[in-house]
Amino acid sequence: MNRRYYPVAAAVVGVVLLWRSFFAVRETDFVLVTQFGRPLYTVSEAGLSIKWFFQSATYFDKRLRIYNPRPSEFLTGDKKNLVIESFVAWRIEEPQRFVQTVGDPVAAELRLHDIVWSALAASLGTHDLETIVTANPEAARMQQMLENLTSQADHAALSQYGVRVVDVRIKRINLPEQNKQSVFARMRAERERIARQYRAEGEEQALRIRADADRQKEEILSAAYKEAEKIKGEGDAESTRTYSQAYSRNPRFYRLLRTLESYKRIFDDKTTAILSSDSELLKVLMRGENAP
Amino acid sequence: MNLLDIGQRPAKTHDHAHPHTHDHHHHDVHDHGHAPQVRAPRGKWIWYLAGAWLLVTSVYLVAADQQAVVTRFGRVVEPRVGPGIHISLPWPVDRVTKLKVQQLQRLVVGGNAGDSVTGRTQPLLSQFLTGDQNILHLRVVIQYSVGVPADYLFRSQDVSLLVGATVESELARRVARRTVDAVLTTEKVAIQEEVRGAAQIVINRNRLGVLLASVNIESATPPPEAADAFRDVASARADLSRIVNEAHGYANSVIPKARGEAQQMLESAQAYKLRKSNEAAGDAARFVQVADEYARASDVNGRRLYLETLEQVLPRIRKLVVDRNGNLDLTILRKGVEPAK
Repeated sequence: MNRRYYPVAAAVVGVVLLWRSFFAVRETDFVLVTQFGRPLYTVSEAGLSIKWFFQSATYFDKRLRIYNPRPSEFLTGDKKNLVIESFVAWRIEEPQRFVQTVGDPVAAELRLHDIVWSALAASLGTHDLETIVTANPEAARMQQMLENLTSQADHAALSQYGVRVVDVRIKRINLPEQNKQSVFARMRAERERIARQYRAEGEEQALRIRADADRQKEEILSAAYKEAEKIKGEGDAESTRTYSQAYSRNPRFYRLLRTLESYKRIFDDKTTAILSSDSELLKVLMRGENAP
Repeated sequence: MNLLDIGQRPAKTHDHAHPHTHDHHHHDVHDHGHAPQVRAPRGKWIWYLAGAWLLVTSVYLVAADQQAVVTRFGRVVEPRVGPGIHISLPWPVDRVTKLKVQQLQRLVVGGNAGDSVTGRTQPLLSQFLTGDQNILHLRVVIQYSVGVPADYLFRSQDVSLLVGATVESELARRVARRTVDAVLTTEKVAIQEEVRGAAQIVINRNRLGVLLASVNIESATPPPEAADAFRDVASARADLSRIVNEAHGYANSVIPKARGEAQQMLESAQAYKLRKSNEAAGDAARFVQVADEYARASDVNGRRLYLETLEQVLPRIRKLVVDRNGNLDLTILRKGVEPAK
């Protein structure tokens, strides 16, 4: 009876041993193989792996993680305060060292916070505000600063905690709350200046346009006056020539005619004429037909 | 018999999650000693089950908008499987993860979507510092899709957080290098493109497996503390163009009017010239004709003309006739009204 179950028992034991000897490593994990609590080696290659059945496997997430330290205030090289919000992209690189020094991710973040904070404080302390926040792209040094900072932090974290710092980046640069009111005041003043400038420029342009239009108007009118007077002069000249040509055919008659014409215009009802009885007109009246 | 049982057992043991399979397995062991003659039909059931299990766990369908990643004992063996029906090794050896790669995912950086609904502002969340140390409120919408499925699945813990933070850092850096006016107006599109490009490079380097479709600055507004001053600048700009337009309007009315006047002056000068020369021609023709007649009998005609003129002139005027030898008392002229006695 008992004997009949031996193969079954052997099979069960075999399966358990087999089960304990194989383990799957996922792409997302490191596996640290320990023997009675003592770390032996790390498997980083994903897939099926073998160990002794008495050894145990501990899984570590090797994926990239993000850690967001709280925004904190830093002093720049020229003694200005900046509130910097950074983030750290990191992952476990050496599980053995990691498990021996920090153990879990939360503790690792605490250590990372210290490393990154002091690195940030140190590098911001050597940079002026104008190299971080500047409208002049040539003066910008932030990228370079962060690259240096990342490699420093990475070096420190890897050698101490087995943690790889992939990236330290600045998510947000801001000014401390107590400075903001003065910043807003400055912004307002700047805007007011710009608005005034726009309006003044508008006036300037408008005046220029109006003056130009007035000049053109004068130009056009005076040129036309010049031309018109010339034309009138031509008319006058032509009529004078015509008259003189006609009148010079009989100047005596013209003199007579023109003189008589003048009489008609010169004398009106307010005129008193003193006529001599001797005159041409009255001679006949006074002396009769045969008067000389 | 035993060999068959044992051979199947490891597979079954893996399959604990499937209650049905487990039941049948148990059944099989129970029946083992008592009824060997019914083993054959019972054995069939195991084959059917194994067949069904193979079919269910080793054939998989990838939909048209999906891609799949196949892992064998955790290791990626097929990083990118396109749409269609495919075969893999049965569970739990192979695992298939399907992803909707083309589906765009949306992230918001800066002022979050809740703001516009509740009207509440979260200043710290949306404030960015510009290069000329102005504070601006930005809201940026990121859209991304899966680029490399295997990286997307296995390389990082929280892809969207990392993507958002990366884009935000690139945005902050670029805004910090420009003036407030550039960010608000001319450089907006350039910033979007630069941020997208730079963030994509970082994403690729960190192997997040994400393809940024767009980085869009949805709103860029000055802080409420200075908003009215910014608005005043906008209205000043409008004033500028209004004043300039008015001046152009003035110019456009004055110059054509002057041109019209000029034309009028020229026309009237021409008319004057024509009138003058025609009048002169007329007068001259008349004079010439009269003069010719006069020349024929100048004495008579001269006298006639003289007398005719006097007839016209003298009736209108007061006349004093004085004798050639008489003295004239000029006092009558002073009285004016009295005719000579």
